Amino acid sequence: MAGMDATAGPTPAPATTRTSEPGTVVYRHSITTRLTHWVAFVSILVLVMSGLQIFNAAPYLDASDKSDPAHRVLAFDGQDAPGGGSIGTTTIFGHAFTTTHWFGYTDDGQGSEAVRAFPGWITFPGYQDLAGGRSWHFFFAWVMVLAGVAYFAAGAIRKDLALLILRPSDVPKLWPMQAYYLKLRKEPPDHGKYNPLQKAGYTLVLFVLAPFVVITGLALAPGFDAIAQPIVTLLGGRQFARTWHFVSMLLLVGFFFGHVFLVASTGLFNNMRSMITGTYRLGKHEGTGP
Amino acid sequence: MKRRVFVASSMAAALAGCAKVTNGLNDWQAIHPVLETANTLDQAVIGTRGWAKLYRPQDVTVDYPVNGLDTPQQPEYVALLQDDFSSYHLPVAGLVEHPQSFTLRQLRALASLDQITRHDCVEGWSVVGDWRGVPLGSFLQLVRPKPEARYVVFYSYDHDSGGQQFYGSLDLQQAAHPQTQLALDLNGKPLDAAHGAPVRLRIPTQLGYKSTKWIRNIQVVSSFAGIFGGRGGYWEDNGYAWYAGV
Repeated sequence: MAGMDATAGPTPAPATTRTSEPGTVVYRHSITTRLTHWVAFVSILVLVMSGLQIFNAAPYLDASDKSDPAHRVLAFDGQDAPGGGSIGTTTIFGHAFTTTHWFGYTDDGQGSEAVRAFPGWITFPGYQDLAGGRSWHFFFAWVMVLAGVAYFAAGAIRKDLALLILRPSDVPKLWPMQAYYLKLRKEPPDHGKYNPLQKAGYTLVLFVLAPFVVITGLALAPGFDAIAQPIVTLLGGRQFARTWHFVSMLLLVGFFFGHVFLVASTGLFNNMRSMITGTYRLGKHEGTGP
Repeated sequence: MKRRVFVASSMAAALAGCAKVTNGLNDWQAIHPVLETANTLDQAVIGTRGWAKLYRPQDVTVDYPVNGLDTPQQPEYVALLQDDFSSYHLPVAGLVEHPQSFTLRQLRALASLDQITRHDCVEGWSVVGDWRGVPLGSFLQLVRPKPEARYVVFYSYDHDSGGQQFYGSLDLQQAAHPQTQLALDLNGKPLDAAHGAPVRLRIPTQLGYKSTKWIRNIQVVSSFAGIFGGRGGYWEDNGYAWYAGV
């Protein structure tokens, strides 16, 4: 709250977001943040891979309640090719692409190839085992949710969760920050603990995508559907929920790669250290406030 | 060119390593009881409550799909099928006050529950069917489970290729859910052999693998100890979770 009072005061807002001089080493991430971050990393890895294992059991997605080929948005197929060999096909909104060795007909996780949607090197386990994939998926779903609850609770108690929420005052700084990343601008705008783009990304992931991936996953459970019918209806039905669950996974994976790229390109050592020991050297125009 | 081949082959080796790691973890038997704690949590949080969505007649899937073998090949079942199930009877025994055997005619007289519900397969697909049959809760009241009774086990006529009999189970609370039924008809016709004739289980609040087909007999028990793999069902003995509400 002190930070907010300061920004509302007579002094210009950008200056007050910087509470430390550049080059100062600060304690950036609490133990809860660091622990839950790495738990989330492992959980997301297992959840995505085991999710693709589960997907392989019904390698298509429909935009409907019950399964309906007329509303198919994505399908993987594998078949024998005329004249020997096999071909894998990926069909997106009715457009078929040959994806042999990648999707449809691909690595079976046991050193050979077979008819299956996603290859063995990206599923958990590698070989086809729906029961196993489900066990890993549901266990790590709980680990991820409990880590998320711990993260939010600790952040709320310490009052530093608010530092990464995008505020209206951050919006004018979004483009200058993007321009800096694109090297169209020499200096980033003054900001607090997180820059405006980080705030936008984290706000979207933590408060929109994360709850959405949980809800769409739950909507696939017939037991959950019986106690939350309106949610499934709102999502367009059970198969539609499966499609949303897949789409939210793709968006989260997209965020993951963007996140890793930025960690590596904005000071790999400093960033990694902040998520391991907690300490972080402030850059120019960077502070510790909101 | 050589460099590209080298890069491609080392990438392939790294990717093959991925599967080796995940396969190894999944083959590690000691981890599975740990993973299954999640299923206990799922059951505690979600359970078998509420009401599965009821559909309209026009929502029904006409060509209702079938998983696995179409018809059991056991001589006992083939003989029943040939005489149109006229000699079929369903024994209910175990921890009950009044063990009884029900003829198909008796079951038909009890078939008061007609509901159009969605069937969600563990593989991921969903179909909608009009199921008519005996509400399992009131059916069990006829045989009166004893106080120590906890589970209802459904034995099938079908066996897998290795000779293992199919079976499944529910607890008494799941069995008493008002939408749980011993189904006799699908989409207005008596069940055909592919869909579980003459009697199968239908529990729309759980995944399809809980809905045992071709029921031969029912046993009420206090635990799964001594019943095949001891995990309460054929699919459960093969690694699937006992609680299939998720």
